[in-house]
Amino acid sequence: MAPSSRSLAGMDGVTTLGDQARDALAAYEDLASLAEDIEDEWTYVTELHAAWRERIEELIDERGTESVTTLEEAAISRAVDEIGRISDPHRAIDWLSTFPQIVLVTLGERS
Amino acid sequence: MRFQDAAQDARAITYAAIQAEPVVAQAAALLADATPAQRVLARAVMNGETLDPDGWRTMFPTLFGPTVEPSARERSEAILTVSLAIADRGDQTRNQLRGALVESLSVELLGRRVSAAGVRRERRILFDGVRAEIHPYDVTVERAGAAEAYDCKWGARGINADVLHQLEDARANAEAEGEVLRVALVVFDAELSCRVRLERQTAPHDRSGLVTLESLGSLSS
Repeated sequence: MAPSSRSLAGMDGVTTLGDQARDALAAYEDLASLAEDIEDEWTYVTELHAAWRERIEELIDERGTESVTTLEEAAISRAVDEIGRISDPHRAIDWLSTFPQIVLVTLGERS
Repeated sequence: MRFQDAAQDARAITYAAIQAEPVVAQAAALLADATPAQRVLARAVMNGETLDPDGWRTMFPTLFGPTVEPSARERSEAILTVSLAIADRGDQTRNQLRGALVESLSVELLGRRVSAAGVRRERRILFDGVRAEIHPYDVTVERAGAAEAYDCKWGARGINADVLHQLEDARANAEAEGEVLRVALVVFDAELSCRVRLERQTAPHDRSGLVTLESLGSLSS
């Protein structure tokens, strides 16, 4: 796919959608690790994690070189902070579904 | 096939008290006309750790950013306020309120498609010669020739074999009597998460519908 007009791939100091999404995925890995503490839900947790990770990786493949706005950057950062507060593995399972939806609402609905 | 009120046991009394909390009806009314992104906001806040409204505003620039239309922002603010009111409760009450909310939202939306008097909560469905389920169905649409039964869940994790069997049994029993009963799960969660959950379920669900965060509008149309 050709880079979009907002493509800033390769420019130093510029945050791209790919950078933001990869940061989100790194935090998402930690969230999944916490959720895996619920042994009865281990299969669901791993499959849910894999499904949403794939969805975000698709976004990176399609639009990873686009720039993000400061508002979008702050939103993802704040969402990462929110899941960093979670210590209850049951709540972590809820957020395995919720967090990627926030990321996609922030990054995925832009035309 | 016939419908009957659930027994007035301790569970039903607790359920009624939760349903009667004003915040449940307020949230349902707002979310009935919400956009998918506003529904994600509600889900996130009611699942969340922080009660800081500015943190949530930062997290959703498409709802609270400077270019958002004032009327849309006003609705997002109202959804944020009511969602924080639910989040600001103890874990057990929060869970109950969230469950009640999904039921109220379903009732609100269904009432736009069929006569509101025909939309009922907490009803059992009885069939000749079949032992009745102990647990009632969360929401039913009771009308001749086009009845419906719904089980409502806050999250995809709530989908389990018991729920799927209960829905499928009702549908199959109705069919055996020559009646039509549409059955479906209403889940206030993303379709992808629900599909992942359903993938592993061996209980029959091919003929049960699935209404998710993205498709709630289908209840009213």
